[in-house]
Amino acid sequence: MKRKQAIAVGLVVGVTASAGVIAGAAGKAPVRSPHGSPIGPVVPGDTGAGELLLAVVGGVFSSRADAEAANAALAFGDLHGYYVVPLAQFQGFRQQVGEPGEFALVSAFRTEEGARAFAELAATLGIEATILPERVRSLGGLYAGLGQEASPDGTGPLLGPLAESLP
Amino acid sequence: MRTCSHGRGVLRFLSTAMPIAVVLPIVVAFHWSRLGWRDQHVNYRSRPSGYTQIVNRFGQPCNADARAISMRWTAADNGVTYSFRFHRKLGGRPTAMVSDKGGKSTNLDNDVYGHIQNAHLQPYIRHGIYGYVCRTKRNSNEWSTHAFGIAIDVSSAEEYMGKCTSTVNKYHSSIWQNHGWYWGLAFCDPMHFQYATNY
Repeated sequence: MKRKQAIAVGLVVGVTASAGVIAGAAGKAPVRSPHGSPIGPVVPGDTGAGELLLAVVGGVFSSRADAEAANAALAFGDLHGYYVVPLAQFQGFRQQVGEPGEFALVSAFRTEEGARAFAELAATLGIEATILPERVRSLGGLYAGLGQEASPDGTGPLLGPLAESLP
Repeated sequence: MRTCSHGRGVLRFLSTAMPIAVVLPIVVAFHWSRLGWRDQHVNYRSRPSGYTQIVNRFGQPCNADARAISMRWTAADNGVTYSFRFHRKLGGRPTAMVSDKGGKSTNLDNDVYGHIQNAHLQPYIRHGIYGYVCRTKRNSNEWSTHAFGIAIDVSSAEEYMGKCTSTVNKYHSSIWQNHGWYWGLAFCDPMHFQYATNY
């Protein structure tokens, strides 16, 4: 009888101890992150200075105030559409737009796919969007949406230069 | 005399009830077979809360899975058919209504879409429909849920951002919510449905 009791007590103690060890180990286990660490919720303000970029243009205006007002009226919904930038921050820009003005609504891209996808979104929403035929050289300046396109390797956003964007 | 009138009443009841009993199942069966749709609820992911959970469940913004599945939806008011993309884990699994698109779930293109059609709520789908876009939130440098392929905007022209009431999406919002989607009306964006909270 005593032997049976001892076995029962042993089993209870053993199972409890095992459960404790497992629970302790689980608490220390690293959080499973199948897609790697998040790159962060904020898009870095990359201007791509010195790179050759594709520019999608929504209009050219004589003043910053006019450009800002026009941009605010565009119905991109809950997404950010164009950025207001001076024409002078892209070399080769003024020659291609062929319109007088100092400020433009622009979104810049490194890949043709990224530029096309944005232009298609704008068209879907009934918003003007022209992809400039030639790449323009970024001289730095204000952020113009760079980094908001998929990387060709499919892992996430494209956050650095590509061969075709390098001079 | 009494038995006779009772019998007539029963006959009258049967003459009304019998055709209904025969016709109703046929009408219902016809309706279902015409649409060929069933609410499947296959492989629904739990809805993530916050940025880190979104990344852990759906990957980095703008990854290939975020735009893996495409579907088309015609707006009732202008007749334009919009083609948009969304995450592999939210649809694209083959059903009677959906071809095999390599997706893992029946959520969006079979269940939500089919439910809206079957409930005859398509007239409340208005123009301006889009899904995956590798873009930030408006006036922000934070990634939009659209960049993960887990957000759909419906009737975007009528249910514009900043409008804190709904005029058309309210008719089908409960269907989205019953399939795990969070409605943006809570933050005055009634066009927006996203498969995440707290972001």
